[in-house]
Amino acid sequence: MLSLDRALKDRRLQGLIGTVTAYGSLLCHYDPAVTSADRLQEVIREFEGRPSTSFPLAPIVDVPTLYDGPDLADVAMATNLPPAQVIDRHADREYLVYCVGFAPGFTYCGELPPELAVPRKASPRRSVPAGSVAIAGRQTGIYAVESPGGWNLIGRTDLRLFDPAADPPARFKPGDRLRFVPVL
Amino acid sequence: MIEVISGGRWTTIQDRGRPGRERFGIPPGGFADWFAAAVANRLVGNHRDAALLECTASGPSLRFDSDGMVAVTGAHAAGEDGWITRVMTRGSALAIGAIGAGLRTYVAVRGGIEVPIVLGSRSYCQRGAFGGGFGRPLAQGDRLTVGALIDGEPLATAWPADHRLPMGSPWEVRVIGGPHADAFDGFALQRLTAVACRVTPELDRMGVRLDTPSLRLRGDEITTVPMSAGAIQVTSAGQLIVGLADHPTTGGYPVIATVITADLPLLAQARPGDTVRFREVDLTEAERARRRLTDWLDPDG
Repeated sequence: MLSLDRALKDRRLQGLIGTVTAYGSLLCHYDPAVTSADRLQEVIREFEGRPSTSFPLAPIVDVPTLYDGPDLADVAMATNLPPAQVIDRHADREYLVYCVGFAPGFTYCGELPPELAVPRKASPRRSVPAGSVAIAGRQTGIYAVESPGGWNLIGRTDLRLFDPAADPPARFKPGDRLRFVPVL
Repeated sequence: MIEVISGGRWTTIQDRGRPGRERFGIPPGGFADWFAAAVANRLVGNHRDAALLECTASGPSLRFDSDGMVAVTGAHAAGEDGWITRVMTRGSALAIGAIGAGLRTYVAVRGGIEVPIVLGSRSYCQRGAFGGGFGRPLAQGDRLTVGALIDGEPLATAWPADHRLPMGSPWEVRVIGGPHADAFDGFALQRLTAVACRVTPELDRMGVRLDTPSLRLRGDEITTVPMSAGAIQVTSAGQLIVGLADHPTTGGYPVIATVITADLPLLAQARPGDTVRFREVDLTEAERARRRLTDWLDPDG
């Protein structure tokens, strides 16, 4: 997906307003006054079956994390692990950013070790603070702005993930790598 | 300057939005009813990028510190006839009042509302709480600066009635199938287009939730996918969530169909309790329908 995304960007196609990738999907926003779905499909088909280009690995970004989330105890209970073990296992690995989406700067990463996989909360919170570090299924993520959310909150970071005045406005992009570093 | 005497229920500054930044999780934003807003700008002779006021459910009261011109379009406003220009003299006031049928009324001022551009747009983004000058809806005491985004003379006559969209329930909304039609049984879309959907009170600029009482349709959670405006997600509880201008850029439920651009204004005007009926069309008809509206706006374009 990342490879196709870059290839499309490099082609600078007329009428292609933007692309969005998430896991195994790529969405094209286009201006129908300039191009057409048929035309774009034709271009995308050219890449079918071609081996994807490999990219140099992105450097690993440290995300300082205070593990004091309101759901840490519940996660510990659900996983049958002491909270300290939940923290160790969450922090003890590199994650790949699969997607930035849902809300501005929200960063979806994977994969979580299987023993930390817990379902989303039965009823989502109306408001999750910016900087919350959360888990759901085999995913971990960081809320970049205050928003509603159904993931389990295990910690928080001071790292600013979204800044409308910055270029780019989001700290991470798909393909980036990060690791959570526990702080006291 | 324009002084906000009262902000109304939920009035925000919007322009054509900031499409192309969805990859950062930033919704395209901009006018929810893009057609009515474009007409308002056209009436007062504004550039199409000019920012205006989007009023929801009830509108603001504004006092003009200098002479100006406004146009009110979209949902019917109790205090204003609409779809025609009105000259405002220094010291005069404009009171939009209660709104309906329809939900959103647009107030364009000749020259546009001048606020700083954030991420390519003057629009207020609810989820990110940025843009729109104040990073929030209008409040009493706010002062608005009139800009200079003028593109021509104002229109001398009212916007023709046969060049407006229907305004009121039931809303007939056209969709194209998919992209996740295969997540449902083969007749799911036919069944969806055969029933009346009811608009729930859960609606805002991000989206509208619809109940389909007589329809047993279920969407199982899928791996996160990108979403576009108009995408109709089906939740595991069988509710429909249709994305509007500030829609989340990704979602986790399958999309049974997508509302065509030409009919997004209709959904943006639907009120809680209203009825929506979907009708399936193909891409050719979707593009023709959009073209019809853009031709009304710009017959020479």
